[in-house]
Amino acid sequence: MMAELTYNEKRLLAALAGKKQADAATLAAALNTTQDAVVQWAHLASDRGLVRLERTTNHAYDYTEEGRLYLKNGLPETQVFNSFSESVKFSTLQQHPSFNKIGFGQLRKKQKVDLKDGIVFKVSGASTQEDEQALKKPVVGGLREKELVWRGILLETESITYCVSITPQGAALVTQSHTITKELQYGIRGVGTLTRDQIISGAWKDCNLRQYDVTKLPKIVYPGKLHPYQRLIDEMRQIFLEMGFTEIHGGIVQSSFWNFDALFQAQDHPAREMQDTFYLNEHMPLPDGWERVRDMHERGGDTSSTGWGGTWDIKKAEQCVLRTHTTALSIQHLAAYTKAPVKAFCIDRVYRRETIDPTHTPEFEQLEGIVMDEGVGFRHLLGFLKEFYSRMGFEGVRFRPGYFPYTEPSVEPEVHVDGLGWVEMGGAGIFREEVTAPFGIEYPVLAWGLGVSRVAMLKLGLKDLRLLYRSDIDWIRQSPVHRAGNSGGRTA
Amino acid sequence: MAIISLPYRYLEKLTGADKETILERLPMIGSEIERLEPDHADVEFFPNRPDLFSVEGVARAMRGFLGIECGLPTYTVKPSGITFSTDPQLAAIRPYLGSAVIRNVSLDEESILSIMGLQEALHWVVGRGRSKVAIGIHDLDSVTPPFSYIASPRTRSFVPLDFDRALSLDGILAEHPKGRDYAKIVKDFPLFPLIVDADDAVLSFPPIINGERTRVTQKTRNILLDTTGTDRRAVDIAVNIICTAMAEGGATIESVAINGTGVPALAYSERTVRIRECSDLLGVELSAPEIAHLLRRMRFGAEPEGNDHVRVQVPCYRADIMHDWDIFEDVAIAYGYGNFNAGISKTFSIGSAHPIRILEGQVRSILAGLGFLEMMPFTLTNERVMYDAMQRPRSSNALAVMHPISEEHTMVRTDILPLMLEMLQANKHRELPQRLFATGDVVRGVQTSEKVSGVSCHGTADFSEAYACVDALARELSMPYTVKESDDPAFIDGRRADVMVNGKAAGVFGEIHPAVLTAFELEHPVAAFELDLTAVPGYHGLQDSP
Repeated sequence: MMAELTYNEKRLLAALAGKKQADAATLAAALNTTQDAVVQWAHLASDRGLVRLERTTNHAYDYTEEGRLYLKNGLPETQVFNSFSESVKFSTLQQHPSFNKIGFGQLRKKQKVDLKDGIVFKVSGASTQEDEQALKKPVVGGLREKELVWRGILLETESITYCVSITPQGAALVTQSHTITKELQYGIRGVGTLTRDQIISGAWKDCNLRQYDVTKLPKIVYPGKLHPYQRLIDEMRQIFLEMGFTEIHGGIVQSSFWNFDALFQAQDHPAREMQDTFYLNEHMPLPDGWERVRDMHERGGDTSSTGWGGTWDIKKAEQCVLRTHTTALSIQHLAAYTKAPVKAFCIDRVYRRETIDPTHTPEFEQLEGIVMDEGVGFRHLLGFLKEFYSRMGFEGVRFRPGYFPYTEPSVEPEVHVDGLGWVEMGGAGIFREEVTAPFGIEYPVLAWGLGVSRVAMLKLGLKDLRLLYRSDIDWIRQSPVHRAGNSGGRTA
Repeated sequence: MAIISLPYRYLEKLTGADKETILERLPMIGSEIERLEPDHADVEFFPNRPDLFSVEGVARAMRGFLGIECGLPTYTVKPSGITFSTDPQLAAIRPYLGSAVIRNVSLDEESILSIMGLQEALHWVVGRGRSKVAIGIHDLDSVTPPFSYIASPRTRSFVPLDFDRALSLDGILAEHPKGRDYAKIVKDFPLFPLIVDADDAVLSFPPIINGERTRVTQKTRNILLDTTGTDRRAVDIAVNIICTAMAEGGATIESVAINGTGVPALAYSERTVRIRECSDLLGVELSAPEIAHLLRRMRFGAEPEGNDHVRVQVPCYRADIMHDWDIFEDVAIAYGYGNFNAGISKTFSIGSAHPIRILEGQVRSILAGLGFLEMMPFTLTNERVMYDAMQRPRSSNALAVMHPISEEHTMVRTDILPLMLEMLQANKHRELPQRLFATGDVVRGVQTSEKVSGVSCHGTADFSEAYACVDALARELSMPYTVKESDDPAFIDGRRADVMVNGKAAGVFGEIHPAVLTAFELEHPVAAFELDLTAVPGYHGLQDSP
């Protein structure tokens, strides 16, 4: 029962405990609030049977402006009555400063004076004493008072007062309840805020800190925070950093040379068509040694490859694109660091000429990774993929043959998701020798380009990719920083 | 990607296995089952394996993969005695011609559909939309050899497929649906390629359309194949893939003499591969006999040559075998991707985050500490949002994409602030105050660099709030700065300032101009800032590392 009481009901009960009953005005003063508030709290407590609330209508008089004047100077009839002793010539009386028609009329009407042959006489034993009494101390219901009201001298007023009394149940509750007795003990005028002065002066010992209902719901505040997708990206970055990978970073604008040609994508390959790629009216010079890439395309260079045949066009290689994959950064990194070991990764935006719909956006993140070292092979590629996905919390991982122009063998990893089955996650493979040979890269390169937004949809429960880039603030506010069961892949 | 329709009955008959077994194993040779229908499956195959674009080709591969029939398939080619001559003028137009005679075909609905599907897929994947290779299939018995591949005047006319009247070659480009689709391949040449018979009857106008005269029907018993193109290898592979697929279906192949040379040969090519290289690439120790065994299951001919090598015979229809590693992938597929002992390599290395990423992380943590929520808007945008709505002049330094896919995405952002106002617009029905920020790439010219922008939208958002944020950010980034009055039209005059670092403007902040707020449909004041992170001390040292 106590838990249901509002704090103010408790204060009210505590205030009543010593008094048995009190009017609202007294209680309002004691509780430092308004009478209205006291009545409201008493209504609540009364509904629970803890107090009785009695309503009384009180009648009284107030003075009109005229009345307040008479209170000072006497009623008009008193003024006339007191201006002569026994009798006076009417014409003389009319000259007197205190004469007034209302007062003289009243005296005549109530037969306190007579007028005969121009002479005014006071009637024997007459007085205005009782009328004056009624004006000064009006008694509710008196005839003279009613007349004064009628004359517009007094005003009848009506006021309502409340009397609150504690019931036996209420009293019992106060005695039983720890909270209320404590509040009683400390007094009800508790202190809301602990001040610096109270702490320094030691006044805190005597001031009673008000007790709060700690079960009430808090005010909702939203912390500033990172985007849920960025947090997921950081989680993935963390995994690769922990595995000893170097993070790489590079420009959004790439020459076709780095985006396609260096990756042995034939110049007439459909993926290079305008249909799928954002081309730019910009050109970039080719790096030293571009001729080796040309030779590889045309004849297979010095490898066992036949090459694509045909003629390789330098103009096509110089034209810029918005990078269609971060593999354009990986190959540049390898061209700069040809000596083993190289372990590098990046998570960054790539661009495809796709119409926007819930599962396609013209830009999205790709997770790129490469491992170049002596003795690395396909088995290790599968190992890295498996390790990453298991650290991301995907237990079932399987591999299907895939095809990408710059890897051989190629593989498409899939993860198992309850309710969805096997979900394709991207592509991976070992860079073809046609890719690595022109740059003098000395060992095989394991490489992968994985979909990040796919993981985000699964992990963040999104059905529409667009929400990652045009986010509802409420979704960010309400998506928790820590997700249960997200251990970052630590199992031991 | 090519999606091939595989009717179960025909597939089972050609493979010699039940459909459940076939469909279960099919993905593991490199395919994705798109749809299972009551009578057929639609399966996607990779563009490097056009030999799998027919039921006959899939059955051939699956017989090996399932161990029903392994090793190199052999095809015998007899001379047909039919000759083909080519016009030297075609050298500059469409130089290469391939051909074959295919006899004793018994075409039913399924095999016609399979061959049509194969032709269509080859047109796209090998033929690059018919420009590189185009294929014509004709009823041989309706025409008279020898045949000629000629460069013809554009005024010559014949009855194209699906028409009942003759059209000129130019008329075909203008009127025939296929003519309109593929006109761009030939329209600039003065003469057009044409294939005619001994009686000067037109078989085909490559790469556009065949003649109605040689239409293939279920009654067709003998076929003349023509392939024309701009790339010798692609033309040959298309002939090989069609001929071997039809041979798998029971037909016999005969050669045609083109300018005296008999084609096709349908002969395998040979490569000798090193088992050490194969074992290293795959990370699995395999012996020469093991590799040879696995390759035979992928329909290669393969015999160990000593302990260190395997001699491999590559079937003529395998367009993808350019390099020894292409053969090793087939070894891996036959071995089974699921059978590899997947494990990470012991490569030792020390991880390191990229310094620019570290800097962006610091910016994020400062702004989150100031109560801002992160947003991740697109980097693609348009001039209306980036400049017009901001009352800013359009930048000549903005990078436009050449063929935008929508009006929304015509350029790469040069600033982030306009996108933050867009984010406020998208969230205008959400509770205030809203404090949002984003950091990331912008592009000027072709150079990528990083910026950060923040906006604060609520009833009392003002200049001093923006100033306080910029000041905190600059202090935490160890970036000494001064301010001077700005003339940025996106902000209110007298309530805007440029952030100066080393005498150069490195950012701007203040109260967003009411006209800009209105352009973004915002109804509350917005305090905003944008900073160029290249002004952070040491930034230029970050770019090159690691």
